[in-house]
This record gives sequence, C-alpha cells and structure tokens, in this order.
Amino acid sequence: MNTLIAIGVLAVLVLIAEIINLRKLVIPMTIVGLLGILGYTVCHIDVEVSYYNNMFITKKFSNAFTSLFIALTIFLVALSKDFYQTQFSKIADYISLKLFLLMGAICMVCFGNMAMFFLGLEILSITLYILCGSDRTNIKSNEAAMKYFLLGSFASGIVLFGIALVYGATSSFDIAEIITITSQGTLPIWYSLGVVMIIVGMLFKIAAVPFHFWAPDVYQGAPTLTTAMMSTLVKVAAVATLYKLSFHLLRQMPEGYTTAIVVITILTMSVGNIIALRQDDMKRLLAYSGISHAGFMMMALTALSTSASNLFYYAAAYAVAGIGAFTVVLAVTKGKDNQLIQQFSGLGKRSPIMALVLSVSLLSMGGIPIFAGFFGKFFLFSQAVDNGFITLVIFGVINSFISIYYYLKVIVTMYTQNEVTEETQITVPLSYKVVGIAAVLINIIIGLCPSILLGLFK
Amino acid sequence: MIEILFYILSTITLGSATLTVLSKNPIHSALWLVVSFFSLAGHYILLNSQFLGMVHIMVYSGAIMILMLFTIMLMNLNISHEVSKPFFTKLVATVAFCLVGILMLTIVMRGNQAYNIEYSSTGEDFQSVSVLGKVLLNEYVMPFEMVAVLLLLAMIGAVLISKKDKTEKEA
Repeated sequence: MNTLIAIGVLAVLVLIAEIINLRKLVIPMTIVGLLGILGYTVCHIDVEVSYYNNMFITKKFSNAFTSLFIALTIFLVALSKDFYQTQFSKIADYISLKLFLLMGAICMVCFGNMAMFFLGLEILSITLYILCGSDRTNIKSNEAAMKYFLLGSFASGIVLFGIALVYGATSSFDIAEIITITSQGTLPIWYSLGVVMIIVGMLFKIAAVPFHFWAPDVYQGAPTLTTAMMSTLVKVAAVATLYKLSFHLLRQMPEGYTTAIVVITILTMSVGNIIALRQDDMKRLLAYSGISHAGFMMMALTALSTSASNLFYYAAAYAVAGIGAFTVVLAVTKGKDNQLIQQFSGLGKRSPIMALVLSVSLLSMGGIPIFAGFFGKFFLFSQAVDNGFITLVIFGVINSFISIYYYLKVIVTMYTQNEVTEETQITVPLSYKVVGIAAVLINIIIGLCPSILLGLFK
Repeated sequence: MIEILFYILSTITLGSATLTVLSKNPIHSALWLVVSFFSLAGHYILLNSQFLGMVHIMVYSGAIMILMLFTIMLMNLNISHEVSKPFFTKLVATVAFCLVGILMLTIVMRGNQAYNIEYSSTGEDFQSVSVLGKVLLNEYVMPFEMVAVLLLLAMIGAVLISKKDKTEKEA
C-alpha cells in the first residue's frame, strides 16, 4: 500500500516539477524515487496485509511482481531521456503517465476486490492507448492507437460483463468472500460464464492466440519505447493478473476448461512462432515472439497451486531480455521510420556492445543455457511434466527450436554482413548502453543463480 | 399527486423523444434530446433515486449532449447536406421497426411470471445521496481514489496529445 501511495506521490511530484520548470530534474528524480520504492518493497516482501476492507492485499506473489514492475519501470524511464529528446517539453507528461501505468499494474496484482482489479486494468489500458497515439503526426501511431483503443475497450467491456455475472452469482465483489461462497454450495451456471468472460478479456490483454490480431500492428505502429513497455511491463502484468484471477476464481468450472486452456496455450505458442518466421520487421518479429512467450507463460495455468515462483522467474527472465532487445532496437532505429532487420546488418562492427546485448537477449528468449530464459522454460516444462501435461511440453520444446531459428537469423545478420558506410554509423547514447548492459548482467545473474528469485516465494 | 407528476413527465419525455426523431435540423434534434433526458432524470427522482437522477443530468444532459453537439457541428451536418434516402430503404426500415415493435410488445404481454426478490432490510435508504456518500468514502474509498487517478491520467493524456510541439521553436 505504501508502495502504491509513494508512486502516486512521485507522479504528482513529476507534474509539479514541470510547473516550476525543472524538467531536467524529472528523470533523475523519478529514477532515484523508484529505486527507493523498489528497496522498500523488496525489504517488505514478506509482509502480508490487507488494506481498506480487503481492497488491496499484499502477499508474497503480489509483492514479488510489484518489485519486478518497479524494476522494469526504472529501465523504461532511464531510456526515456534520449528517446524523447526531440519533444523534451512533454517529458513530464510522459514520465507521469508511465508512473500511473505502474500504479495500474500494481493494482492488478494486489487487488482484493473486483472493483480494484477493473480500475487497475483500466488505468493500465487507458495509459497505453494514450502512449500508443502519442506520436500524433505519424499515421502508423494513429492507426495503432485506434486499433488498440477499439479492441481494448471491447475486451474491457467483456471483463466488466464477466465481473457483473460473477457478482450476480455470488453477490460479492470481494475475492475472499467469493472464494468462501464458491467453495460451499453449487452456483448458478452464470458464475462459470462470468469467469470465462473475465479470462477471455485477460487473454486478449496478453495477446493469446484467438485474440492476438491486434498485437503486431499495434506493436509496429506505436512509438518504440511504448512497444518496449507493452511487450515487457504490460505483458508481464497481464499474465500475472491472469494467473491470480485463475487461482482465485476457478472453482466449480466445467471439466472442459483445462482442456481449453491447454489448447489455447499450444495454439498461442505455435501460431506466434510460425508467423514470426516470416517477419522482416524487427518490431513485428518481437511482437510475434511476445505472443509465443505469452503461451509459454500460460503453461503456469496448468498447475495453479504450485507454479507461482516458476511463473515469476519466467516473467522476470522474459521481461529483462525484452528490455535488452528493445534497447538495441531503440538505438539502431533512432530517427528512421521503419525497423527492418536489414538495419541491424553489420551491427557487430558498428557497435559491438549493442550487438552483444541483442545477441544475449535473443538467445535468452530462445532458451539457450546459462541465460535466464533457458531456466525459465526448464522450470515450467518440468512442472508441466510432473502434472501430466506431456503433449503441452512436447509442443513447448518444438516451439523453442522454431524460435531459435528466427532469433539466430537476426544474430547472423548482425555479425556476417559487414558493410560499414558513413550513413550506417550509429552513436549510442550512454543511457542506452547502461540499460542494455544492466539488462544483460541481470539476465546472466538470475540465469546462474535462479534461487535468488525462486527463493522469494519460500 | 405523484401520479399526475408522472403523467406530465411521461408526456414531456415521449413528446420530446418524438420531436427528436422528427426534427429536420440535427441541432434541434439534439436539443429535444436534452429535454427528454431532463424529464428522464425527473422519473428517476420520482423513483427515489436521487443520485441516479443527478448523475443522469450531469452525464447525459451535460457531457454526452455536449459531445453530440460538438460532433454535429464539427461534421457540419446541416439540412442541405442530408441525402434523401430511396423509397425502398424507407420501406424496409419501417417494416423492420414494426417487426421489432411487435416482438417487444409480445414479450411484454407474455411476461406474466412474477419475481419475488427479497431484499434484506437494513433500515437505511441506500438510494439517498448521504448514505451513498458514506459507503463510497468508507468502504470503497480506495476505488474512489483510484478513479481519481484514472481521471487525472486521462486529462494528462488529452493535454499530451493536443499540446503544441515546441520543437520547431527551439530548433
């Protein structure tokens, strides 16, 4: 709770800094503030309290994810200075919007009441619609914002309808009360209908396969830093929320439900990876790879009671790798209007550090050992085997192989084609280097000692 | 007394709704709709839903109507621009409307199942604004504050998207 209040205060301070013309202070102040808040949250990770009539409940699960969100926001804010160089007068607006988005994400993992869940979801989505369309002179950005807004509002509507049906069946918005009611007597059929509608809305937000059509266009059109935010912070937040909702609400569900989830998981992994093979735009490629990673994370839904730590580890590994990859995309495609993979050719010569960061991040996403991504997949797979979902694991392994192919395609392009001309020279700002290297270091450290993160849940 | 009020309000509601449909000028339509919304708010207050009535006036008669008027004015919809639709379209529209009307009437006429909903009586009038305010600021204070955050960020977003770029000046 203190975390949430502190972030809100920080966001308002950012806005005040704009009023008294201290725009230069905004980013340093935000980073220092967020680091302090991160320290506070990590220190209080074991505190399990509920605030304001169960509106806001902190548990280990929610505290761990809150810390992850704050860490990701620190990276994204650090990248902001150079990304928004040309529109520095608006910097305070962008930063405060990012902080509000963080508040929404925290509400989504800490809610104890459906009202808080929905408000968190809306805060997160509406901020994203705004950030997607913030490059208003660019027609692609407008298209992305419009598509995301229309489809996202429908998804929110479906979630809201689901919440209403659950309320109709249990006459409560309070999660604890819903759990007591659902574990006692039989419920009317519209309880499961409502839960399915909530889950479907969340599947839309994580871009699982039948609901993924918005993702590539929106990822491609949105400003790159916003895309980075969507594919790391927002995706992880949505997956964590989906997990938490499933954990609390899935009682008295029809038997076919687990089968449906397994089928959706397999489809999400496969379709995302297979379409990614054909992409020549870096942002679209990362969008499709993000879809397949959502599929991998959905594996955690097959073992709800035990997989929280594995999900957290995978989410952290994926998000850190995503930050690394997008840092390089930001550095390479700065001032260009497309993000084709050809632009990365010869990066190994032009900027060895950035090439290394991108290689490590992509290899980690593909699941090459010693990087965190491998262990993330390993834990999720072994858990699924233990629970008897062999088919799911077979598809998961096949998909890991497919994904390595297109990740390697990018890496090969970077290191083989050596056409260094005047115009392909790039200058990488210091902040990008720092963020990229930090992401790689974190990736390797949590890859070498997974117990740092897994231990948080014991 | 209440019955007379109800009939007066209903006349206003139905009359202004009809005029909304029948006016040629879109602006006049919109203004008749405002009248219709106000009288609907009157119905809410007659049913002892003070809060709902006030919200209806603020949101529908205020915000949404302004939105519609802006749209009408921005798109410059005048009588001169109105395309007269072919006779066939009008005929189909009329038939479709009549069918839907008959369907709804039948449903209403057949609906004779009585529902007995038992509300637990707490002795408090939850329709009144003061009770609602207490609930909102005690039990639901946190969602209330989060709504405030949501509105604030929506405002910042609107400013962000519409703010003038200063880059040309500085460069």
